[in-house]
Amino acid sequence: MSDQVTRRAFLAAAGAAGAVWLAADPDLVQAAVAHARRQAAAPPPHRFDVLTPEQAADLEAVSMRIFPTDETPGAREAGVIHFIDRSLSTYAADQKGMMITGLGDLNTQVKAKWPGAARFSALTAVQQDEILKEIEKSPFFGAMRFVSAVGMFGNSSYGGNQGQVGWKLIGFESHGINQPPFGYYDAEVMKGG
Amino acid sequence: MQTRPRVTYPDTTVVDFVIVGSGAAGGVIAKELSTQGHSVVVMEQGPRLDPSKFEHDEFKYHFRNGISNPAPTSWRKTAQDEAKVGDGLLLYARLVGGSSVHFTANFWRLHEKDFMERSLLGGVPGADLQDWPITYAELEPYYTKVDWEVGVSGTPGPFDPPRSRPYPLPPMPVKSSGVLFERGAKKIGLHPQSSPMAILSKPFNGRNACQHCGYCMEYGCEYGAKSSSLASMIPVAEATGKCEIRPNSYVRKVELDARGRATGVTYFDALKKEHLQRAKAVILCANGAETPRLLFNSASSRFPQGLANSSGLVGKNLMFNGGAAAMGVFEHPLNEYKSIQCTRLSHDFYDSDPKRGFYGGGGMDARFQQYPIQFALGGLPTDAPTWGSAYKKMVGDYFSRSMTVAGHTTSLPVPTNNITLDPKAKDDWGLPALRVTYKDHADDLKISQFLLDKQMEILAAAGAQKKWVAYPAIEQQFTAHLLGTCRMGKDPKTSVVDIDHRTHDVKNLFICDGSSMVTSGRGQPTMTIMALAFRAGERIGGLAQRGEI
Repeated sequence: MSDQVTRRAFLAAAGAAGAVWLAADPDLVQAAVAHARRQAAAPPPHRFDVLTPEQAADLEAVSMRIFPTDETPGAREAGVIHFIDRSLSTYAADQKGMMITGLGDLNTQVKAKWPGAARFSALTAVQQDEILKEIEKSPFFGAMRFVSAVGMFGNSSYGGNQGQVGWKLIGFESHGINQPPFGYYDAEVMKGG
Repeated sequence: MQTRPRVTYPDTTVVDFVIVGSGAAGGVIAKELSTQGHSVVVMEQGPRLDPSKFEHDEFKYHFRNGISNPAPTSWRKTAQDEAKVGDGLLLYARLVGGSSVHFTANFWRLHEKDFMERSLLGGVPGADLQDWPITYAELEPYYTKVDWEVGVSGTPGPFDPPRSRPYPLPPMPVKSSGVLFERGAKKIGLHPQSSPMAILSKPFNGRNACQHCGYCMEYGCEYGAKSSSLASMIPVAEATGKCEIRPNSYVRKVELDARGRATGVTYFDALKKEHLQRAKAVILCANGAETPRLLFNSASSRFPQGLANSSGLVGKNLMFNGGAAAMGVFEHPLNEYKSIQCTRLSHDFYDSDPKRGFYGGGGMDARFQQYPIQFALGGLPTDAPTWGSAYKKMVGDYFSRSMTVAGHTTSLPVPTNNITLDPKAKDDWGLPALRVTYKDHADDLKISQFLLDKQMEILAAAGAQKKWVAYPAIEQQFTAHLLGTCRMGKDPKTSVVDIDHRTHDVKNLFICDGSSMVTSGRGQPTMTIMALAFRAGERIGGLAQRGEI
């Protein structure tokens, strides 16, 4: 097996919409990191760069159904929406149209289903899940799943994974130096077990 | 080692050798020829990064081509299909040190049988399986050079071919995945062994030992413990004062004179300004995709179907290595993200066995395969939820407790699998893009499935609470192994280079990289590419000394 087999798995998992996020210039990514650092250093309240407050509320609500806040932190605590906003304002600017169109379609569906509802973020969690199930195969949802995962588990320098809540959730430590034993089973062997 | 100042040669200098590519092969040959006293310029299309600049950044390195090639590559399965950019992924690293910077560092030697499968097994319908023109015994001294000069940690296993010298370094400490793999493999009657890795288990040749940071596969090693060309060979080459590594230099064409001899290479600098570097001889080490592309882009009236392509074999018989992946989750934490990717493997099914009814063999190893983002996107069982509370909980529960058992298998040389120039797509320099045509031979899929069944058995025998197929034995649309496209042979009609890596058609043009390989081995080709490069460096240097170039 080729060593980077997971890229294939990614293409399958994230779908075509996620795949387009792959094709950026690393220099632009670096610019985005620098931008994220400046934003993080800016005094609160943080304003979004490209998203309106309503768009941000809706996209954050979608990310919060993918990684809900329950006994453990989720997309909200990780700041997934800030990763999304900063990406769309920099190296992924060309993705903004697709995201906003996808969100518009979702809100059209929301209003068709619940005529009184203002928008996705105004629904109950149960209603949100109900409608997301209907669009879970769509490019928009695939892209949201991708950006939510990066916003949860990517480096904090991109704006998400704040306080490393994503890494804490999965038991991942990012420091550079480790010593054996690394896990339970090699520790057992070291002890002569 | 006496260190002289780094040398730079003006374009007007006719250097002894210009080498295209600074990776596994180019780095070794540059070191060999410069230490012999030859003047050498190495052209590298990518930048030169200081190892202190290598980052632990999954989003950048895995998802955003941090150090890998952004060049467009179009894909199709057969010549009847239209190739589309994005239908597959051909991956190599684009920086000084090449793909040896981001490799996983599994360093398996080929076995004696790998060199003579045609004689041992006969032909395979639908493939052009041939013996190598050299034997394992002829290559063994150079495998040993790789062990000792590049730096490999390991201990011999029960199926290993003979070796003339022990490993210079003890094997890397076993990880939980290695312990479990060994347990499971032994339970089903197999003979697991330590994984030989081009990663330093102890300080060696003035380089640091591994710090177990966990960022090997797809990352550069900031400690210099991973035995890339950048860490091991290029410093030695530069210290001679005879070798210039020229980054951001994108070679467009090999130039010929009226007599049909190579005179140098035309290349673009970082500002896309064109230059000619003149040389007495040219050595292509650009990888199994870029080397044939460069030969096609160097077509002339003398070589209308591509330079050095009188055989018609340039670009053909492209091989990737195959293999599927199984995953399992265990009761206690494995923390596979720590330390190197692999610590145990099995070569029980290495040999092709006619009793199976198909050609092929392979190895299996226990490994860490998915960093956090990738795990969240594709690390769970296929029947797991993909979003919501249950999904989030499962990602958290499984990440530290799961491991991959991967298969690494033969790819047959199939003449219709090839690298050609895309008729429409262009790269950033306006040159025709790579076009891959690739469809796995039926036997390649059979050996992948055969091993996948064993991988699942190992996980079960190791006590996995749950096991699943993470990547099935299906036709490949991805590769980081680029093999066979300028194969080595004695007959100019059926090969591109001779046993000295000299092209049959152009006396002072040489090729050494994955393209030289006649068969694919069982995955992990870099050890063999480096051994071939040590041998090529010695032989090409000998030819130069005797005035035979």
